[in-house]
Formats: sequence, C-alpha cells, structure tokens
Amino acid sequence: MTSKKMKITILNGNPQADNIKFDSYIDTLTGLLKSNRHTVTAFKLRDMDIKHCIGCWSCWVETPGECIISDNSGEICKSYINSDFVIFASPVIMGFTSALLKKAMERLLPLVHPYFEVVNGEIHHLSRYDRYPLMGLIIQKGRDTDEEDIKIISDIYMRSAINIKTSLRFTKLTDGSVEEVVNAINSI
Amino acid sequence: MQLTVFNGSPRGKGSNTKVLVDQFLDGFMKGNGNSYKIVYLNTTKDSDYLIKMFEEAEKFLLAFPLYVDSMPTIVKTFIESLEPLCGRKENPDIGFLVQSGLPESIHSRYVERYLKKLSARLGCSYMGTIIKGGVEGAQAKPVWMNKKLFNSFYQLGKTFGETGKFDEEIVDRLAQPERYSKIHLWLFKLFGKFWYWDTMLKKNNAFEKRFNKPYLEVK
Repeated sequence: MTSKKMKITILNGNPQADNIKFDSYIDTLTGLLKSNRHTVTAFKLRDMDIKHCIGCWSCWVETPGECIISDNSGEICKSYINSDFVIFASPVIMGFTSALLKKAMERLLPLVHPYFEVVNGEIHHLSRYDRYPLMGLIIQKGRDTDEEDIKIISDIYMRSAINIKTSLRFTKLTDGSVEEVVNAINSI
Repeated sequence: MQLTVFNGSPRGKGSNTKVLVDQFLDGFMKGNGNSYKIVYLNTTKDSDYLIKMFEEAEKFLLAFPLYVDSMPTIVKTFIESLEPLCGRKENPDIGFLVQSGLPESIHSRYVERYLKKLSARLGCSYMGTIIKGGVEGAQAKPVWMNKKLFNSFYQLGKTFGETGKFDEEIVDRLAQPERYSKIHLWLFKLFGKFWYWDTMLKKNNAFEKRFNKPYLEVK
C-alpha cells in the first residue's frame, strides 16, 4: 500500500526531562514517520517559550488571526495549520494530559474565528482557515491511570477536535507499539 | 462553615467567574458564623501556599471558565500540584463552578466527568459541579439583564451556607439549556451574536481584517 505523504506536527507535552521513556517513544515515532516519507515537525514544548493564554481576545478582535503575546506559540500555530495531521502527546498527570500541553493548546485560539456556527445541533466558533489537520492523541499512563481516565481524556479531546474544526482519529497509549500509530496515520 | 474559593480564571479579578462567585459568596455570608477565603490563581504562583490553603480548607470551591473544553492551564497546574495529597483523609469537601462563553451546558459536561473523577482521586467528598453557559459579556450587560442570573447564584450561595450542599433545583435551572432546540438554533443563526464581535472589531479598526489567515503558507 502506498500511503499519502503527509505533513505532520507533533506536540510533545512531556513536562519532565527525566521521563526519558516518553521522549524516546516520540523520537522513535518521529523517525518511523519520516522513514514512511512523511514530513515531521516535533515540538518539545517544555523547551519552548510559551506563555499562558490570558483570554484577552486580541487574536479575535484586535489583530485577527494572530496572538499579541510574542513567544514561540506563533511557530506552533504556523506549523499546525499547514499540517495534514497533528499529534497531541502527553503523559497522564492527575487523570489528564499535562498542563504544558494544555498551555500550547489554548494558544491555538487564533486559528479559529470568533463568529458562531451550528455544528451537530450545538453552537461552536467558526473556521478561520479552509482546512484543518486531523488529530491524534498519544498518552502515557501514569501509575493510577485507569480505563475511565482514558475514556474521559479521549472524550475531551474529541470535543476539542470539534472546536478546532477537525476530528480525533485515534487515542493511543505509549504501551502500544509505534508501528500501530504509523499504520493508523498511513491508512488515512 | 468555612469555605475556600480558588478562582481559576486567567482574567482573575476582571473575570466573569468572579462576578458569579461574588454573588454566591454574598448569599453564603448570610449564614451564621460563615467565613471564606479567596485566591486568584492567575496572580498566585506560590504552589506551597496554594497547597496549604487546600489542606486547611473545610469546604473547597474551584471555579473557572471553560477553556478549550476543559480547565484553564493555571487550574491544571494547580491540580498537578495536589498529587501528593491524593487519598489524604483530611482533604476538604470539594465542589466546582464551570462557566462558559458558549451558551449550552453540553460543552461543560465532559470536564464535569473529569472533575467528579478528580474528587474521587483526591479522596474528597464531591459536592457537585455548577455549570452555567452563555456568561461571556455578562459584565457589559445592564443590571436588569443579569438580575435573574445573579439572584440564582445568590440563592445557591445562601442555601450552601445553610446546608453545605448545592441546591439541586437551582443547579439544574442554571444548567439550562443543555442543548438548544431547533427553533432556538434557528433564532441564533438569524440574530447570531455577530454584533457582539463586530462592535469590538470595529472599535479596534480590525473589522476589515477579521477573516485574515496570517499563518497560511502559500503552496
């Protein structure tokens, strides 16, 4: 099977440098995706300057489409919106993905439009761009992570996907093989 | 009764969350001998202090706006700092207030599941989650338009101050609508809140640029 060559962005939300297992999983995944002829940009969020979204809405009503806070988040937005697929990756901490990943996610707000539209009978914000990358989620279980936690996380990302104008294609655990993730992406 | 409130809005003292919490606390303080402490997570970064406040609380209310379908980052950071307290016997009873800009409660139901599970993880007795949609712009509205909303939060605080519980009837009422009916959706589309954004866009001389796509790479 010849798969489509895709542009892929990975948001590595591992906050702890000593969680080597997680980073090496992402490294292996990045390598394998590249050897499958995909173009991959992997952001190690903890090494980047990303400030908190302060809910000021400048990106909606002052400088439409752009955040007024200057840091590395513009780089992420640019890579994100020009990708075919985005992987959100994080260890599970207190039953959810990391605050670090959440911080980066909140700064994607400039990518959507403040206006409203109806999606599946619900009010959501409007698209700013014509197309948005598909989404995948990779999580590393913590000591106390159970099936219910995984379902809750996955469901919240499924909801976020609606708000970033796409769909969640998979939730994978780092317990599983990297090949499994690559196959899921290749089969799109 | 002693209540500790953490306001998890990135807008802090200027937040819609504060407006609702203030009403709740006004009602709460009608109860004999009641007292409260309030902390704003957007300005309080000292994690040791926050943990201490949590440890010492009798009842604990975590209030925040819905940010991309869950809690704002500053709230998640605080939750992560509580990890060593999981299962601690003396943990306070915990309740939540989630308010959203989007009008229906359905948007907040997913994080509600998380919050319930979080309470169990901490070993806290779960008092419930108050969900209120459509709060954005509340501060720009004239007093009479907020009267019903504010009164509900006042009453909720008052009964909480007497019983230590969230009044289920008020919580249910605040959570309406769960989803819009077809007619409401049609009205929403027709009269959509576009004017709300357009007013701000025009004020900032940004109206013509409102559909900008600054990050698009030309292929």
